[in-house]
Amino acid sequence: MELEANYEIASTADFIHTRNFTRIALQFPDNLLKDSIRIVRALRAKLRLLRDSDGDNKDVGLFVMADTTYGSCCIDEVGASHIDADCVIHYGHTCLSPTTKLPAFFVFGKASIDISKCVENLSKHALTNDKPVLVLYGLEYAYAIPHIREALTEASTSCVSGSKLEINFASVICSVINPAEDHKSIHGSAGGSTTNESFGKEAGTRYAIGGLNWNIPKGHRMEDYLLFWIGSDNSAFANVVLTFNGCEIVRYDATEDSLVTDVSQQLRILKRRYYLVEKAKDANIIGILVGTLGVAGYLDMIHQMRELITRAGKKAYTLVMGRPNPAKLANFPECDVFITVSCAQTALLDSKEFFSPVITPFEAMLAFNRGSQWTGAYVMEFRDLISSLPVEVRDQSEARFSFIKGGYIEDFDQQDTVIGKEDNEGALALANATEKALKLNDGNLNSVIKGTAKSGAEFFLSRSYHGLEINGDSSPEPYVIGRSGKASGYEDEKSKQES
Amino acid sequence: MDYKHNIRNMSVIAHVDHGKSTLTDSLVAAAGIIAQEVAGDVRMTDTRADEAERGITIKSTGISLFYEMTDEALKSYKGERNGNEYLINLIDSPGHVDFSSEVTAALRITDGALVVVDCVEGVCVQTETVLRQALGERIRPVLTVNKMDRCFLELQVDGEEAYQTFSRVIENANVIMATYEDPLLGDVQVYPEKGTVAFSAGLHGWAFTLTNFAKMYASKFGVDESKMMERLWGENFFDPATKKWTTKNTGSATCKRGFVQFCYEPIKQIINTCMNDQKDKLWPMLAKLGCTMKSEEKELMGKALMKRVMQTWLPASSALLEMMIFHLPSPSTAQKYRVENLYEGPLDDQYANAIRNCDPDGPLMLYVSKMIPASDKGRFFAFGRVFAGRVSTGLKVRIMGPNFVPGEKKDLYVKSVQRTVIWMGKRQETVEDVPCGNTVALVGLDQYITKNATLTNEKEVDAHPIRAMKFSVSPVVRVAVQCKVASDLPKLVEGLKRLAKSDPMVVCTIEESGEHIVAGAGELHLEICLKDLQDDFMGGAEIIKSDPVVSFRETVLEKSCRTVMSKSPNKHNRLYMEARPLEEGLAEAIDDGRIGPRDDPKVRSKILAEEFGWDKDLAKKIWCFGPETTGPNMVVDMCKGVQYLNEIKDSVVAGFQWASKEGALAEENMRGICFEVCDVVLHADAIHRGGGQVIPTARRVIYASQITAKPRLLEPVYLVEIQAPEQALGGIYSVLNQKRGHVFEEIQRQGTPLYNIKAYLPVIESFGFSSTLRAATSGQAFPQCVFDHWDMMSSDPLEAGSQASTLVADIRKRKGLKEQMTPLSEFEDKL
Repeated sequence: MELEANYEIASTADFIHTRNFTRIALQFPDNLLKDSIRIVRALRAKLRLLRDSDGDNKDVGLFVMADTTYGSCCIDEVGASHIDADCVIHYGHTCLSPTTKLPAFFVFGKASIDISKCVENLSKHALTNDKPVLVLYGLEYAYAIPHIREALTEASTSCVSGSKLEINFASVICSVINPAEDHKSIHGSAGGSTTNESFGKEAGTRYAIGGLNWNIPKGHRMEDYLLFWIGSDNSAFANVVLTFNGCEIVRYDATEDSLVTDVSQQLRILKRRYYLVEKAKDANIIGILVGTLGVAGYLDMIHQMRELITRAGKKAYTLVMGRPNPAKLANFPECDVFITVSCAQTALLDSKEFFSPVITPFEAMLAFNRGSQWTGAYVMEFRDLISSLPVEVRDQSEARFSFIKGGYIEDFDQQDTVIGKEDNEGALALANATEKALKLNDGNLNSVIKGTAKSGAEFFLSRSYHGLEINGDSSPEPYVIGRSGKASGYEDEKSKQES
Repeated sequence: MDYKHNIRNMSVIAHVDHGKSTLTDSLVAAAGIIAQEVAGDVRMTDTRADEAERGITIKSTGISLFYEMTDEALKSYKGERNGNEYLINLIDSPGHVDFSSEVTAALRITDGALVVVDCVEGVCVQTETVLRQALGERIRPVLTVNKMDRCFLELQVDGEEAYQTFSRVIENANVIMATYEDPLLGDVQVYPEKGTVAFSAGLHGWAFTLTNFAKMYASKFGVDESKMMERLWGENFFDPATKKWTTKNTGSATCKRGFVQFCYEPIKQIINTCMNDQKDKLWPMLAKLGCTMKSEEKELMGKALMKRVMQTWLPASSALLEMMIFHLPSPSTAQKYRVENLYEGPLDDQYANAIRNCDPDGPLMLYVSKMIPASDKGRFFAFGRVFAGRVSTGLKVRIMGPNFVPGEKKDLYVKSVQRTVIWMGKRQETVEDVPCGNTVALVGLDQYITKNATLTNEKEVDAHPIRAMKFSVSPVVRVAVQCKVASDLPKLVEGLKRLAKSDPMVVCTIEESGEHIVAGAGELHLEICLKDLQDDFMGGAEIIKSDPVVSFRETVLEKSCRTVMSKSPNKHNRLYMEARPLEEGLAEAIDDGRIGPRDDPKVRSKILAEEFGWDKDLAKKIWCFGPETTGPNMVVDMCKGVQYLNEIKDSVVAGFQWASKEGALAEENMRGICFEVCDVVLHADAIHRGGGQVIPTARRVIYASQITAKPRLLEPVYLVEIQAPEQALGGIYSVLNQKRGHVFEEIQRQGTPLYNIKAYLPVIESFGFSSTLRAATSGQAFPQCVFDHWDMMSSDPLEAGSQASTLVADIRKRKGLKEQMTPLSEFEDKL
């Protein structure tokens, strides 16, 4: 049965059964929701079979979770704990981010791929290039990799020139993730892009990204390899391109059976990120968006970000708003920039629709650590940043140059802290705010220039509208009959249109 | 240096190639810094290799000269003075229009200007531009008619003709100056008979004013000097036969104009004698004039002899210096009337008074007008003028940057001056302190000053800054730069930072797409900047530059064809808007700051009602200007009786600032659009009409109204002035035609075979214009381009295949946007 094979019903049931889980949450992304009922049914039938053979009659509860609060690639642990689940089965595309509390089993799904055509493309491209090839792939193609590898060895033995080919494959870490006691201990095995550790007998550098990992022998650098990506142009691919932006990357699109060598779009994204970093440097008020409640270590990251921002003399607000969208973020027009703390694959939020730019923790570190520079290296996983010690704030021998404004811009608060007025902050903040409020507000138009206010309170002070005016004309308004009808067209308006 | 009455701060300004640097040389020679023999060839103030190579000045360079006057020379000087020693702080400025920001920076810190005009070419575009700039800054001009040698050697015109040429040149200059009549500055026009006009030959190092000759003849005729000077210019004729002065030419053959008879002819005679090597005639003549030549100089022949003789007889330095000392104001005189132009704060506070009185004991007021690269790479001298107080090594100063607002801490630093330096052209001299009235270079502040700043003492917390300079050119030409090797990026960033400092005009920014942009006034300017960037500021790391890019503006042609509506994301709020073009001239008025957000609403509505025909009430309903709250677009409230409208005003304004910065066509700035809020329907609950709902909606409805109002692109247009002989005209016209330019003025310069052509040329077509023009006219035409205005492109960008739509597609592609414009349906909602 296709469904069973596609969604690995048997192995899922086996996982549940052997670990004796009783309440299981099944997490589906929106596009797979249509299959959920059938999967539950199949899974339940399978589990019953297994149970019967074992002879115990414990009841197993299966719950379908949909419309997750954050990205559907991460395990929604909060959602799962609503039903007191003891494990999560995740379907579809995933970022394989480690979890904090619950064990998780991942079903990647199987996308169709023409193995022979893929191999043909791969070997043809590998021949035209003298670099060794490293094959990376979308997790939905993970099942096909052994076949491809096989077909490739066959092809290379049959063809004489193929002997020169050096093709490496990345492997999937595993489809089961257990919550770690300490997220830092898993750092080496699950996350990370450049963690050095001796691995078995061969010494080398071990890389891992988005659930894939591979080794590179000593003396080689990632730049020496040609990356061959099998899969679609999705966030996982973008993640790879940005992280290994120094490598040559080729993408094989399995659904269209075509080779895409042009990744300029992705590199353009990198440049755009650079701009956002420059822009973030000019920010005074920063909103930290909590983009995940599941990925291990997110709390530490938020704390680290807060600290970083305060140290830079700026103001931070932490906001929890589920999946961010332009309308939600525009409710905080006082924030000059947002940092989203989330898994690597949902972190890149860039749309012209956003009123203020949204950056990743890595970019925030570049922007708010004086003295750190954009070198081209790019880190998506925030877990890699936790351990990385913040760069020591360099002695301030120079004012900061802003490329957005084209001149020196000093972050005034920073000067204050340098001079040593830090302790005044609490006591005088109120007094200062009042003083500002009492000042003749000649140019309330200033309020809307982004980046002029230093805190939310100050921003509100400079707005032209301050809420209800208590001392204003307090005579009661006459009673009027309001509108009725729907927002798409109230009743009085409808009649206007018809007439 | 301490005697403020004995200081003259002056700049040398002129059109390109009229001989500023060469003339400056002869002044430097007088102070003994370079030898008399080579004066005119060294170009002391052109310190850069590329300046020497191209033969043009690129950066303005300061030189401080000590000069001792004789008692005799000073006896007629009426003003205050302390002794005979004078300090002249002279700044040589570039003449090419692309570098006129350098001139602005020079003028700010000087009190007088020596305007150099080529006696043959006359008053040119750039002469006029810089002269206007100078007068705008209340700087007193004196004039020198330069390249006299051309009259004698090249053209060999006779006396009367030469006189006519000179008087025309002076008249032309006076016409410009007359428009700047200013009660405080007094009459700024120049008159040869008053000694404010000199006649010079920079290359040969000689010059004279009528004073020189008047002195010579005064005793001979037994009249006093001033009387004699009047006779030497204008309608005064002398007939040696009758020995009578008349005010009309008597018609007798021997009757000649005073100037011709007593100034022009003798010089001509000497020059001719020298050139013909008639030494036997020469020596007696020189003896009569009281010139003694050294014996080795007597060996010289021809041109060299002539040069030497003329230098001895009429040394340029003494004529010019005398003119400066007599007719240009000392700092203490000048600051009395300049304080109004300079100081931003109240004119009766202690800082204004200190500037007014040029008080060396008052609080420090120092304006840094430019940054000069130092010899150790990456560091800069802050070059400026002390207006009050004194600056010394080790002094802690408050640095107020251009964005400083009194009472706030923005753009404000307190740092120590490491060293104070006086500039001597190619070398510098460290001094203990510098009192007010002088120009000075400071070391150790460069990491806090981008381009200019006001410095005061550390404790003077209530001082206002000195007014920012206003440039006559704007950076309209931009290129994107990136480094060839990706890892050089930090070098590029550092280099751009330095480049931004080194030039008053260049702007280094970053695009939304992450590209670094360098913007300059013109092609030549950018070329020089990029060369500096690569060679000096990046240590030779290679850069790739894009083709020059011009920024456009988006505007509308008509009022929106209908009222458009957009709904908020929650569908509960609706905004109705219309766009219409601003009245003609209004956008410019906003640019000039005549109308702006900070105006008194009453004054604003008066201007709008009287000049632009606005309804008085409507003028009070302007919500804001944009982009950046000052731009030439606005939002006007036309609603009647809408509830909660004041609540969403901030959100609409925020959406407008955003949208007006990135228009709907190609995300270029908008210009000259008025958005009218026609109606608003809001949700009754405050939370559902918050910023999150209204800001994106305001942006969308603004885009929708822009698209429905016949959007158009505006392109920047240069005013081009070309001076060329008649035979080059054909070439000029054909090049202009080919480049979409059109000529609107063509005048023949009186008395010359030269034509003056004025034309408009789209900036985008101007790349390579100079070289094409030079090729087409075999080098006879040299254009000067200045940004003039924005011109509407007639083609419709919404019509597929039109010129404007291809342009829009190109811009969008460059910016990394979708090539197709977002359709109206994305912005406008249906009820």
